[in-house]
Amino acid sequence: MYRIESSGALVRAHRALTQRRVRPRVSRTVLLLGLCSLLTDISSEMVATVLPLYLVTTLGFTPFMYGIVDGLYQGAAAFVRLAGGYVGDRRRKHKGVAALGYGLSAVCKLALAAVGSAFGAITAIVMVDRAGKGLRTAPRDAMISLSSRPEDLGTNFGVHRALDTTGALLGPLVAFGLLALAPLAFDMLFIVSFCFAVAGVGVLVLLVREPAREPVAAPEPVRLRAAFGLLSGRRFRALFVAATALGLATTSDAFVYLTLQQELELDPTLFPLLFTGTALTFMLLAAPVGRLADRVGRGRVMLAGYALLLGVYVVLLGPSTGVAGMLVALFMLGAYYAATDGVIMAFGAGHIPEHLQGSGLALLGTAVSTSRLLASVLFGALWTLFSVQAALAVFAGGLVLAMIVAAFALKGSRE
Amino acid sequence: MSRRGLAFLLLSVVCTLVAVGAVVAAAQRARDDERESERAAAVARPTVERLLSDGQPFVLFRNLDRTDGSTYGRLAIAPLAHGEPGARLLAGERCDRIDLAAGRGLCLGTAGPTGFKAKVLDSGLRETGSVRLAGVPSRTRVSPDGRYGAVTSFVTGHSYADVGQFSTAATIIDLERGKKVGDLENDFTITHDGKEVTARDRNFWGVTFSRDGDTFYATMATGDTTYLIKVSLSRRTGETIHENVECPALSPDETRIGYKKAVGHDPPVWRFHVLDLATGKETPLAEPEPLDDQIEWLDDDHVLYRSGEATWVMPADGSGAPQRWLAGADSPAVVRG
Repeated sequence: MYRIESSGALVRAHRALTQRRVRPRVSRTVLLLGLCSLLTDISSEMVATVLPLYLVTTLGFTPFMYGIVDGLYQGAAAFVRLAGGYVGDRRRKHKGVAALGYGLSAVCKLALAAVGSAFGAITAIVMVDRAGKGLRTAPRDAMISLSSRPEDLGTNFGVHRALDTTGALLGPLVAFGLLALAPLAFDMLFIVSFCFAVAGVGVLVLLVREPAREPVAAPEPVRLRAAFGLLSGRRFRALFVAATALGLATTSDAFVYLTLQQELELDPTLFPLLFTGTALTFMLLAAPVGRLADRVGRGRVMLAGYALLLGVYVVLLGPSTGVAGMLVALFMLGAYYAATDGVIMAFGAGHIPEHLQGSGLALLGTAVSTSRLLASVLFGALWTLFSVQAALAVFAGGLVLAMIVAAFALKGSRE
Repeated sequence: MSRRGLAFLLLSVVCTLVAVGAVVAAAQRARDDERESERAAAVARPTVERLLSDGQPFVLFRNLDRTDGSTYGRLAIAPLAHGEPGARLLAGERCDRIDLAAGRGLCLGTAGPTGFKAKVLDSGLRETGSVRLAGVPSRTRVSPDGRYGAVTSFVTGHSYADVGQFSTAATIIDLERGKKVGDLENDFTITHDGKEVTARDRNFWGVTFSRDGDTFYATMATGDTTYLIKVSLSRRTGETIHENVECPALSPDETRIGYKKAVGHDPPVWRFHVLDLATGKETPLAEPEPLDDQIEWLDDDHVLYRSGEATWVMPADGSGAPQRWLAGADSPAVVRG
């Protein structure tokens, strides 16, 4: 049984924390990939922040259509993600595939400035932008993994996620600052966003080196069967099952924020602060929690992260505890992200052979995002049909079950 | 330094220069436009005041004429003669949406870099107060007696929210006091088939007022269905009266509702219709394009709406064909004198 409270684990954790071990090594490549993500996230969050405003005030559209197009698009995004990981493995060029993804998104920013007010064109651009994001995620994670020492995977993924989230936090601030200087100057904003994106691509293409790999004796081309064959490996399959089960019991942040807002009757103008609070916690904790995962076990930290999510559900289910309860919930949500987002990838990376890192991480990432998407739809349906309490109760129960499944699946996994 | 490092340095410098250049140019242009439009508004002011006060019909709108950057997006006014607009005059600052009735108006716009607000205007279009809004403003209407106003905004939160998930907030404002009365979602009780609608996903938008000083209509959505609701402001209660009605607009004689009806889904395809309130009969209007706007009645027989960057007119009985009414204009508010 995979129990956190088992005394052996605690003793090990204590020893790990007190003993002065070798300092973890954050690779130069990971720092550069983090910088690349930071710049790219500033660029894309700038646009995402103002897009509804742009659609409504300048073009006279409502965001309804945008939302539906987005929903239909999720499946395609999952496919692109898998393709990105697989092609990176097959051609042994993660950097090239990632650069294509980052490049596509950069070009989209310029295209937004160029197309003017055609709604169809804007929708198409948003789609290509997402395709770029889907394409680059797995090869980028594969590069993080391939340029980290196995014992530092958690730290390295954590550092990358911290930088990535920094960009996501800065993007909206940059956008609002620019619109304050020049109201409604969306073209200017798209150009500035393009500049950030180009700088991000520049970091990747010019500064990042394709991680060196052990020369394979007989360089056998990676086949699709091999990529999916990962799922027949016991360890990887266990993690895949665990991540999917946990994902199915994960509600989307939007529902958490909405519940908090309604419980506290929060002024809607303060709504963005809920996202900011969570992201800030995520940003600050991602690296230290990643390091903790390297020391005490990634599976353990991941399960602890989901225990925090369970805590969020409990706070939301319980009687309103006012602002204090809200702050606790936001902190736990941010810490949950820190303990899961990069840690799952680090865990996975440790169980995937080098030549299949892209495909394997893509499979894992797709399992997480697809199961979360299904979960969100389910949560929304439960909320609509019954009540938010019912939805939360079902999800809390589901999460406990999923944690038990995950604990059994991961039992015996050692890294 | 390596050649690649040097290349990156060069790229960074170029990116920075382009970005800074774009920002400086846009900020400079914004400042110049601001100054220019203030000057133009000051010159036009005496004529505008005469138009506003002589009791003749006029139309207020957002000017979208792109030939002059300094007037784009700003409030403009044109006299109306036999239902046709005359020459436009710059009448004020930026308004994304505008309405005016009985000497009180609402102008929706940005407030600082992160906020939005509804400015309350007096009969001379001067700001007398304002109410902060929750999100990007989308629709506004003032009651015929000028006492109340309504604003629909999109609460998109932040890009951290799953993109595409958002809700609308429909807010009623007391224009006399310059204060919020309440939100439809939180402060009103709506019933459907005699049962209170409590679904968490209910959303409200597109308010239109009756001249009785108490009744208003709006759209309520829950699940995949939209309803026309009829609400009493004083009792804070309302009920659904028709299905598949979005962005209702009450005709001047208050016998009909002009609205958009969803004729296709995923993505929604709308067609403008008119609903006869007494008989429940729906009449499709002439516009063949799927457009998204809240209709404004020009008179009892014609409706105005936005298509492209112009305001168009068509008969309210389904006959005839749409015609361009006013180029480079949207959010028209017809004041019938």
